[in-house]
Amino acid sequence: MTSRERVFSALQGIETKRVPIGEIGGGYTDDIIRKLLGETYVTGADAYYQNHLLVRQLLGADIVGTRVVGPSVEIIGTHADWGTDIFRDFWGASYTQPPEATVQLVDPIASTPEELAQWTAPDVNSFDKKPVTRWRKNTDFFVMATLNAGFDLGYELLGFERFMMWTIQAPDVMRNYFEKLIQTNLSLAIMSADAGADAILIADDLAFNTGTFVDPVYLRQDYFPLLKTMITEIKKTGLPVFFHSDGDLRTIIPDLIDCGIDVLQSCDPNANMHIPDLKKDYGKDLTFMGNIDVDLLANGNQEDVRKTTRELIRDARQGGGFILSTSNVVASYCKPENVSAMYATAHEELI
Amino acid sequence: MAADSIQQAIILGNVASISATVQNLLNQGLAAQQILDEHLLPGMAVVGERFKRNEMFLPQVLMSAQAMQTAIDILKPSLISSTNAQKRETVIIGTVKGDMHDIGKNLVRIMLIGAGVEVVDLGVNVPAQCFLDAVIQHQAAVVCLSALLSSTMNNMREVVQLFRGTENLKTTKILIGGAPVSREFSTDIGADSYAPTAPAAVEQVKILCGL
Repeated sequence: MTSRERVFSALQGIETKRVPIGEIGGGYTDDIIRKLLGETYVTGADAYYQNHLLVRQLLGADIVGTRVVGPSVEIIGTHADWGTDIFRDFWGASYTQPPEATVQLVDPIASTPEELAQWTAPDVNSFDKKPVTRWRKNTDFFVMATLNAGFDLGYELLGFERFMMWTIQAPDVMRNYFEKLIQTNLSLAIMSADAGADAILIADDLAFNTGTFVDPVYLRQDYFPLLKTMITEIKKTGLPVFFHSDGDLRTIIPDLIDCGIDVLQSCDPNANMHIPDLKKDYGKDLTFMGNIDVDLLANGNQEDVRKTTRELIRDARQGGGFILSTSNVVASYCKPENVSAMYATAHEELI
Repeated sequence: MAADSIQQAIILGNVASISATVQNLLNQGLAAQQILDEHLLPGMAVVGERFKRNEMFLPQVLMSAQAMQTAIDILKPSLISSTNAQKRETVIIGTVKGDMHDIGKNLVRIMLIGAGVEVVDLGVNVPAQCFLDAVIQHQAAVVCLSALLSSTMNNMREVVQLFRGTENLKTTKILIGGAPVSREFSTDIGADSYAPTAPAAVEQVKILCGL
């Protein structure tokens, strides 16, 4: 059985001898790949592809996350405090990465609702499909093309607090903003399908560990109808739709099912999202992916990881509908031996 | 009547109406401390409770906090000049070095302001020494440390050790929070307390301040 067949079986509710395993998005940061590959780590022009191929082969992963790629970011200046480059992304927001820290928004795409109303989404015609095509043609991994929708990307481009307050202060502008982002991402999804993706992953964080950021009533009224339209259009290509959001989504899982998603990814145990429980409640409608806590991989030991992975597989594998992964991605601060232990356990737990 | 409408303006996050209402009450001779204690703080307490019960959500809490901040800005000169004004506890808050995440930290800041606490927000990516300097400068009672990443949570340890090793600041109360941290981690690094959510952080700060 190939990796693709194993993942498709899970989606069809067929239990396979070994559960499918893999990560969304880039999956593994360069730091962790370097540690896992050791001397076999590749440098040079094609290093990204080669290293991501090698690490998946080493771990025995079934999935590769990729995307159609936009133009390179543009360096537009130097940050006054940190002396770091300020770069503008494809959407028009600018960021910087302070020393030894994560990326920070410098200038949003709009500072007032009026400015946002005038904002136009950029043209995606220049996007390159080759990364998706290459994985599809040269490997038997299940190829998942990542893109966004309107919410997570929406607050990344505006800044979180501004975005949240404008949902109340300027609901019409925000709805229009969601439409623009969703329409653009839908174009990327169609492009990804043309390029040979096996599935589309919509990355759209809607919640933190205690519940949704905004009132589910607001989502139902102003956001989910647009998301549903997007997913309906994607599914006309025949591809399944994976949906990633961190946090406790229990109040909106029925809405996400209504929107047409096939797979819910993340399922962070710290957010009350235990896959065995979720399968009991929603297993007839959804496949679930995730549930291994990234912090366990960072702070636990190999025996903790093996035990947690074994128990999860035992409790979640029945009847398919389950893909094993971390509840996010394998972050650079995870211990490589714990990552190896998680994947090795999945390969040992056979029916 | 005007006093009732202040509470409503806080709960509804009505920034537009709160300035005039607060100013009106001051003009009528109501003490700033009374407006704060009897109307603004109870209003924010309702917001905190509703947020905890998932009856209010982040956008509404942000709007309420903005209304609260507007009201406090108007009251501040009177509060400072009043001889009867109660001293408001000062809390230093920030996301530790290496970590640029601020959603959780900002939420705690907002809810602390709503609880009537004076908050000094050091922002994100804050070196340990800056927390120490801020406590000295503002004579703060409590330090709140936030981290989202497992890789940066260990920088909380550095902050705690710096305080514990500094004469006169050894007993500074330190509260930690953020997705990867836990009560066990808090105990392990020698912090005084841990809060899993923003409302819990407010409760813990009140306990640490003896309020």
